[in-house]
Amino acid sequence: MATKVLGREDLVIVDCDVHVHDPPEALAPFADMPWRRSMEHLGGVKQRYLDIPGYSTSLNIDPPFPNDGPNARHVTSATQMRDELDAMHIDIGVLFPDHLLRVAVFPQTDYAAALGRAYNAWLADTWVSRERGLYGAVLAVPQDPEDAADQIRKYGAMEEFVGVYLPVAGVRPLWGDRVYDPIYEAAAEMGLPVMLHSVGLIHPNFPFNVDHMTSRLIRHPIQHEFALMANLFTMIGSGLPVRFPDLDIVFTEGGISWVPYVMWRLDKEFAETPADAPMLERPPSTYIKQMYFCTQPIEEPDRPSDLATMIDLFSGHDHVLYASDWPHHDFDHPRAVMRVPFGAEVRRKIMGETALRLFGISLPVPTA
Amino acid sequence: MARVLVGSVDEIQEGTPVFVHSGVIEIAVFRLGDEFRAYRNRCPHQQGPVCHGTITGTQLATASSGWKSEWVREGRVLLCRWHGMEFDLETGKRMRGRGERLRSFPVSVSDDQVFVDVASRSPNARRRAATPLP
Repeated sequence: MATKVLGREDLVIVDCDVHVHDPPEALAPFADMPWRRSMEHLGGVKQRYLDIPGYSTSLNIDPPFPNDGPNARHVTSATQMRDELDAMHIDIGVLFPDHLLRVAVFPQTDYAAALGRAYNAWLADTWVSRERGLYGAVLAVPQDPEDAADQIRKYGAMEEFVGVYLPVAGVRPLWGDRVYDPIYEAAAEMGLPVMLHSVGLIHPNFPFNVDHMTSRLIRHPIQHEFALMANLFTMIGSGLPVRFPDLDIVFTEGGISWVPYVMWRLDKEFAETPADAPMLERPPSTYIKQMYFCTQPIEEPDRPSDLATMIDLFSGHDHVLYASDWPHHDFDHPRAVMRVPFGAEVRRKIMGETALRLFGISLPVPTA
Repeated sequence: MARVLVGSVDEIQEGTPVFVHSGVIEIAVFRLGDEFRAYRNRCPHQQGPVCHGTITGTQLATASSGWKSEWVREGRVLLCRWHGMEFDLETGKRMRGRGERLRSFPVSVSDDQVFVDVASRSPNARRRAATPLP
């Protein structure tokens, strides 16, 4: 357990989004043939930061930043992750990939499914550990929902896996489509929340068709918040929260300030055209208030108190989860959220208590 | 007045800050031509180790440049390695920011020795130093 300096001794910090570095050569031993051979080939290719054609396909169209930009950091071992979370006084981390954030873009279904299986096996073997406070989210590749459902049942049976990771970048159709029902059935059956996670990417699929935009600055919010919004819209449109009432849905790496807009906008549409959403028993905001939203990248308004007001608009006191996104360039140190003037009880919930309940993690956390 | 010896004038080279400590406060001393600047190694954004960042320039596009990008202030911009926030090394102010600035300390030179006056701003010793993350 990390030494407590940031806050009270009884404050447990659960970080719902940290990233393990997943180069192809590390996952290759866990992959089936013939894809193991492909991944071994990829391991011999010169690699740019999170940009490997055929593995982490970003379709990067930008020159490097003239000032070299912020650091490109990697976490390559569970020991390193534990040490760095300790440095931020974080007790528990939920692991997501680096390269395979982009796994949804592959049209080659068998390859995508093999990558998913290799990642999950590698994570189970190498990374997750209750003693280290490192928990996994089962990667569910959208290209093969039946295979993903099998993976959820296989790894969801391990107590070190506490969620299901739904990759957002490039996914088609979006996650509300009923083609993904096997994934949702398995997640609900195993009692695991599904966690949508976005990433920067240029891709023909909406809303990643941003190749005409001139900078990362304007693309980045579209690749994250807009992508999460679009997926949430489709979930409401297909009645997902009604069809799977026990399924918890988490949105990571989109911040929180767009949630009231989505609630009110969809409620307005629903009032005018309820026939378009025959599965919904109540206005969309009712369901959105039951979803969970991770803090990172936490908005930084001139008045931090505006964020406390913001979460009151969508029951965020019980549905906002701290996330750092460590070690990525836009990570949030816990103090970035701790300094928001939430009340003490709400702060405890956001920083860890809500996540402990959502993921079914019991205390005390064993120490290494 | 509490002064901390940084080193001789020749030991502090442009582009390579020299770090000194006053209790838990870490201070970096930068050379800018014949002048020196001393800043606390803590970013006002999320308190990262800003002074370990890159000394570089920045891009600006203005009416006088025909709204095309120009590379300006080479060697006078400090880029925080945590999140990329840019600070003017001469003033400590965040460039194009909301008034954020690095905490600065007076620097004096006596007999070719460079000193930082750490008492004048009464840094709060109860605050922690920057978290040692990469």
